[in-house]
Amino acid sequence: MAKVLIPTALRRFTGEQDSVEVTGGTVAEALGQLTTQFPNLKKNLYTDEGKLRSFVNVYVNDEDIRYLDKDQTELQGNETISIVPSIAGGAAGVAEPPAALSNEEIARYSRHLILPEVGMDGQLKLKQAKIILIGAGGLGAPLGLYLAAAGVGRVGIVDFDVVDASNLQRQVIHGTSDLGRKKIDSAADKMRDINPNIAIDKFETGLTSENALDILKDYDIVIDGTDNFPTRYLVNDACVLLKKPNVYGSIFRFEGQATVFAYEDGPCYRCLYPEPPPPGLVPSCAEGGVLGILPGIIGLIQATEAVKIILGVGETLKNRLLLYDALGMRFRELRLRRDPDCPVCGHHPSVTKLIDYQEFCGVKPMSETKPAGDAITAKELKEKIDRGDNFLLLDVREPHEYQIARIPGSKLIPLGELPKHLNELDKDADIVAQCKSGGRSQRAVDLLKANGFKHVRNMTGGITAWSNDVDPSVPKY
Amino acid sequence: MIEVEEQPWRAMVAHAEKTFPNECCGAMLGRIQGENKRVTEALALENAYAGAQGAMYELRPEDLLAADKAAREKGLDLIGIYHSHPDADAYFSQTDLKNSCPWYSFVVLSVKRGKFDHANSFLPDPDQTKAEKEEFVWPKF
Repeated sequence: MAKVLIPTALRRFTGEQDSVEVTGGTVAEALGQLTTQFPNLKKNLYTDEGKLRSFVNVYVNDEDIRYLDKDQTELQGNETISIVPSIAGGAAGVAEPPAALSNEEIARYSRHLILPEVGMDGQLKLKQAKIILIGAGGLGAPLGLYLAAAGVGRVGIVDFDVVDASNLQRQVIHGTSDLGRKKIDSAADKMRDINPNIAIDKFETGLTSENALDILKDYDIVIDGTDNFPTRYLVNDACVLLKKPNVYGSIFRFEGQATVFAYEDGPCYRCLYPEPPPPGLVPSCAEGGVLGILPGIIGLIQATEAVKIILGVGETLKNRLLLYDALGMRFRELRLRRDPDCPVCGHHPSVTKLIDYQEFCGVKPMSETKPAGDAITAKELKEKIDRGDNFLLLDVREPHEYQIARIPGSKLIPLGELPKHLNELDKDADIVAQCKSGGRSQRAVDLLKANGFKHVRNMTGGITAWSNDVDPSVPKY
Repeated sequence: MIEVEEQPWRAMVAHAEKTFPNECCGAMLGRIQGENKRVTEALALENAYAGAQGAMYELRPEDLLAADKAAREKGLDLIGIYHSHPDADAYFSQTDLKNSCPWYSFVVLSVKRGKFDHANSFLPDPDQTKAEKEEFVWPKF
């Protein structure tokens, strides 16, 4: 009698026997006997036409019968017959699963499917769509949550930041338990929890002229959720060069803007703003503050535009800049036009590849632009205070910021008021200017120097650095 | 439903990350009770594919036979096969489907830029025409 070893996976069909004794002169007869005895085994080993399934290999002792006489291999009666599946695979060059909705997805998207404007076709378009979010912050938070819920098949996220306490007032994709985690990880977890069907690509990096085209090229739509001018121009130019729509949004204090740039024959960001503002003129949200709810509204306008572009329904914001004022609770629109002389998307573009956007926007790291003698660190300031030096510590923040935190002994003159108060200050005095993180105080230093003040220095990192490096009891905001 | 215990899961993830940018493969051993499968041990196997292994794997039948034997000796079941998709999602590709076997759960680990990203488990049909996603539980840390 030959012995057939039953793979563990098939033992449920043999009454849990791990081997079965069979008679028969050939492998075919032996297996025939086995499947007669255990009929449920048959469909696991043979096709409906009665051929051994392609994944089934049969070994007699240690030999594969394909190299013997196949199923006519003769048996003496003392052999051990093994059944071994052949298994291989891989992600190789193969299309992703066919475009169809599973029953779970049909249930999930039911409220979309019954909208004639979406329907099965539209939901499949969403499933096949690829969107990339630049930033997982204020705007990226609602975008990520709702695009995942809506069933966008693939979402890329570009962000190198970690979740900070000051983010939680508006970045609702991150929670208190995510403090200190990478934003891309925290965001991806929330999005997969909402919808496990979506694929997420995480790019833990800043977007740069070197990597932007490579990162963005695989996506259909780019959504700009950044908060600085260099990246905004970079995203715009990359979208124009790659011919991808750039769904734009920006927020500040109580006001927001949204539109769709570089879409079809519409204008790009540079048609609206050919040149960046002088550095420091427009404060960031970190400097000027932002109503926590605002990015929710603007981000969801961006999400709506992206979904409309995918579905091909409705009228997008192409050629229109939507302005939102939360305090007045008003929406307004400005008409936009493509500029035929636009340096990127005009008839004769002068920008045909990505440039250095830090330089374009006049932003350079402090150390490169300012001589060292102009700056003082938080620790050096502490030593100076401890030495009892006679100097003026000039805080150029706003009064409500001064209420939150201050460095002892500082004098408050908000940057905007400074020109009116120049004559109250001594031009020969030793002055250190300080703000929240070093931006506004640098402008104060420039202003003072231009007005003949001789010994003025900027405190790098502002009161945030003071809290980090000198006195942790000073709150950071 | 298939559930992987922490120790084998750590081994599978480490194997997939170590093998990146190539595909890794291995066997999952454990216990089956009705529809519930619990993986208690992971067995790394060699990717025997003769060409570039960045997006392909192949198991040697002898290795699979040995894995099945190892399971037998420990009183465990060979529950399934795992493999990785470097810089690709954890879908069941046509290559996976056409070289699958309906007796096992197929766990696919997506590894992006060298780090584990997510995973799915699939149950292919005997005709290799489709694979159902299987409820899959792995330890989160």
